[in-house]
Amino acid sequence: MDDIKENTLDKKTAIKVRYYRFRNKLREKTAGLSGSAGDIGLEIDFAALQKAEALFAKATEDYPDWVLGTIQQLVNLHAQCLSEPKIRHESFDKISHIAHDLKGQGGTFGYPLITSFATSLYRFSSMKTDVEDHHVEIIKSHIDAMRAVIRDRVSGDGGTIGVELARGLDEIIKRYKTRNTN
Amino acid sequence: MKLDLERLSILFVDDSPFIRTLVISSLKMIGVGHVSLAKDGGSAIDLIKKVKSDPMRAGIQSIDMVISNWDMSPTDGSMLLRWLRRHKDSPDRFMPFLMLTAYTEQQRVEEARNLGAHEVLAKPFTMKSLGEKIALTINRNRQFVHTRDYFGPDRRRQSGSLSAAERRERTDKSIDVEIVHG
Repeated sequence: MDDIKENTLDKKTAIKVRYYRFRNKLREKTAGLSGSAGDIGLEIDFAALQKAEALFAKATEDYPDWVLGTIQQLVNLHAQCLSEPKIRHESFDKISHIAHDLKGQGGTFGYPLITSFATSLYRFSSMKTDVEDHHVEIIKSHIDAMRAVIRDRVSGDGGTIGVELARGLDEIIKRYKTRNTN
Repeated sequence: MKLDLERLSILFVDDSPFIRTLVISSLKMIGVGHVSLAKDGGSAIDLIKKVKSDPMRAGIQSIDMVISNWDMSPTDGSMLLRWLRRHKDSPDRFMPFLMLTAYTEQQRVEEARNLGAHEVLAKPFTMKSLGEKIALTINRNRQFVHTRDYFGPDRRRQSGSLSAAERRERTDKSIDVEIVHG
C-alpha cells in the first residue's frame, strides 16, 4: 500500500507539464444546426455584425459631442469650487467620479489623451488633503487640456500637439505644486 | 456557416457606463443570448462566485466567456484574470478570457497572454474586431498548459512555423508530461 502511494507521489512530482484537452463546449453551445464536429470556422452573422458595427461607429462619431457635455459638468463643478469653497470636498468627489468615467472611454473611441488627462484628474481629485485655491486651478488646467483635445479632434497620441498639451499640463501642475510648498 | 450565439452567456467588465451600455447593445445585436455586466474586476469576481453558488439568485445559469477591460480600479482586468486562473475559489480556471487594453505595447500584450488570456484586443476596437475575437475563441479549442510558471491556454497557436529552438522538446509520451482529457 505504501509502495503504491510512494510510486504515485514519485510520478506526481516528476510531472513537469500538464496538458488539459477538453471537448469544445463553447462550440457545442453555438454550432446550432451545423453541428459541433469538424474544423470549419463558424462565423458571426455578417448582417448582424454590420448593424452592431454601425452602432459602434455612430457612438464613436457622437463621442466628441458627448464628452463635451461631460466636460461642461466639470466646468460647472470647477465654478462651484470657486463660489462655494465650503463644499469643495463634495465638488471634488463629483469631479473624481466624472474623471473616473471619462478615463475609461477615451481610448475606446480613439482619444487616448482624454484617458491620460482624465486619469491624472481622477488621481488628483481623489486626494484626501485640504482643498486649497491652487488645487482648484490644477482642476481647471485638466479641463482646459481635455477641451483642447476635443476641440481640435486630437485623436491617437496627438503627435506634436498631444506632446505639447501633455507637457503644458505637467508644467502647470508642477508650478502650482511648487507654489504650495514655497 | 453561422454561429448561433443564443445560448451563449458573456460577462462584460468595464468601468465606463457609456461603454457598458454600448457593448451590451452590440453583443445583443449579434445574437448573444445573455450579457452580464460588472464595473470592475472585484464586482466581476463577486458575480462569478454568485453564479457558481446560487445561479437562481444570480439570474444566470452560467458564464461562458469573460470580456474585460484591463485598466480599472480598484481591481483591474489583470487581477481578475489572475484570480480566475490561479485562485482556489475560482469556479472555472479554464474560462475563456478576452482582454481589452488601451496599452498596445507588445510588453502589455505579452503580459496578458502570460497571465492566461485567450485573446487580447487593443483599443480603440470596433465591433467587427470584437466579433472576430469572439468567433476565434469559440472555433479554436486550445488546450490548456500547466507548468511551474504558467497556467492558461496554449500560447503556441501557429503550427508548422516554429523554429527548432521554439519547438517543444517534450512530446505527449514524455515521462514528465501528463495529459488530462475531459
